[in-house]
Amino acid sequence: MKRPATLLATAAALLVLAACSRSAEPPTQFGFNPKLPAPKQFLLPPMGVANPVGWDNGAPKAPPGFVVQAFAKGLNSPRNVLALPNGDLIVASSGGPNMEPNLRPKSFIFQWLMNTSHGGEKGATAGENTLLLLRDANHDGVADQTVTLAQNLHSPFGLAWANGTLYVGMTDALWRFPYAPGQTALGPGSVVTELPGGPIDHHWTKSITLSPDGAKLYAGVGSNSNIVENGLEAEHDRAMIWEVDPATGAKRPFATGLRNPNGLTFYPGTATLYAVVNERDELGNNLVTDYLTSVRDGAFYGWPWSWYGSHVDIRVHPQRPDMVARAVIPDYSLSTHVAPLGLAFLKGGTFPAHYQGGAFIGEHGSWDRNVLNGYQVAFVPFVNGRPSGTPEPFLSGFATGKGTDVHGRPVGLAFGADGALYVADDAGNTVWRVSWRGNP
Amino acid sequence: MDRHVFRPRIAVGGVPIHAMLVPFPIVCFTGALLTDLAYARSAEVQWTNFSQWLLLVGTVFAGLAAVFGLVDWFGAPRENRPAIGLWHMVLNLVLFVIAVFNNLVHARDGWTSVVPTGLTLSVIMVLIMIVSGHLGHRLAYRHVARDLPHDDRPDYQEPRP
Repeated sequence: MKRPATLLATAAALLVLAACSRSAEPPTQFGFNPKLPAPKQFLLPPMGVANPVGWDNGAPKAPPGFVVQAFAKGLNSPRNVLALPNGDLIVASSGGPNMEPNLRPKSFIFQWLMNTSHGGEKGATAGENTLLLLRDANHDGVADQTVTLAQNLHSPFGLAWANGTLYVGMTDALWRFPYAPGQTALGPGSVVTELPGGPIDHHWTKSITLSPDGAKLYAGVGSNSNIVENGLEAEHDRAMIWEVDPATGAKRPFATGLRNPNGLTFYPGTATLYAVVNERDELGNNLVTDYLTSVRDGAFYGWPWSWYGSHVDIRVHPQRPDMVARAVIPDYSLSTHVAPLGLAFLKGGTFPAHYQGGAFIGEHGSWDRNVLNGYQVAFVPFVNGRPSGTPEPFLSGFATGKGTDVHGRPVGLAFGADGALYVADDAGNTVWRVSWRGNP
Repeated sequence: MDRHVFRPRIAVGGVPIHAMLVPFPIVCFTGALLTDLAYARSAEVQWTNFSQWLLLVGTVFAGLAAVFGLVDWFGAPRENRPAIGLWHMVLNLVLFVIAVFNNLVHARDGWTSVVPTGLTLSVIMVLIMIVSGHLGHRLAYRHVARDLPHDDRPDYQEPRP
């Protein structure tokens, strides 16, 4: 009876080997021209799903000279922040729409794994999808008033305000509400235009921004899958940035092939739109790198057929060499699976000169990786209006360093009227305030 | 009654539990090959979803069948275990391991969850089942059935001396 036993043992050993694909090196895949290894396909893809343990009285760490304060604690999955000119903050507290059907055995396993990561995919339950107004009347860096502006919204995420109008990117529509800073209640709103929501709604966050002249709105719509495993027809109107006329609701695709674009922001003083993009999973610990890029009108960025220009994804059928030939290489790699969801540029304010003109990026953090990556607010220096050098950790300490335990996960961020950086932390249920105190 | 006869240990009303379970993997794995072929021809996602469920259910029942089969086999005195049963077991254990791998391959996203590796494994699985199923039936009809009353023996031949 030796043969079957040996066979079984060999098979078991093979399975174990497949499971423990080599632990990932710390990423050195920043900036222009990132080193992109050959894609791998796995029996069990590398995974490290965050286990949120909360902050207790801890806080993330910023470089010397900065003060980090919990501006508001005990929130329910704050995802995004909007700073108003009067110093108030509007916070979108939201959870995913949970309308993705479990059509495969894998869906059930992934759902279970992700649900262990509270604040990752679960977040606020339906009915708690709120907009909050946070006000710090006594200017001590801690909000002393919290007002619920609206509730029972449909997974709100994107926030923009101009000229008496608050725009909110719900998962299925872009809304407008009349709103003057200082108001503590939100009147009835109306739909500017519908956006692709259900069915499925895999990447549900609709990041929005206004053009500097206020004439156009831009909305990021993520793909309905990792790599079209729900069929190409499910991707209709998705994985692109829409340009929307706020007056009429008319819209057109502004840039396409962006798997999950978020953090839509115009570079200060220019008409250049930037976004951070979450690239595809299950090709390896160090593939594919997420990126920060200026978004060119009419450009196609590759998804699903390729990444970083000409790197063809063989998981898509039929292949489209014509589309691969069109694919634009994005500007600046942030390394793999960091899940950038927030972007804010610094112009003026109180931070030191080193940070002027640079980008602050909320990296929600990896799951498709043996070793956690992201879980920080990264700073990307800019020179002459272009990213330059390597990213620096600006706000770190979200990961505990113990396995996959994390205190929180940064998402959207914004500079307030007071010059401080405000960061939504969904798994930590906190909005952090980072201000410059001066060199000690 | 022949003393050297392979008798399944676990049976209900004379029907071995193992025999009741084996149709599930046979049907499921064969179905998975068909739905894999349908996906490879159409790239229609629903076909690979069918394949994944068929593979999962087939693998679970194959595992259960293996448990009862192993108990039947090792529960029988050594001299009552025909070589044909050993080959049936070895092939089906190989089949089970390939099935587990094929579940994982099918859990990938997109086209390469099926083409080429998943489909290839599904073909190999069905080929193994044709041989191992045949051996299993020979075991049942020629080594179990010969213990039945003479008239009920479907394919009985006297054992060679």
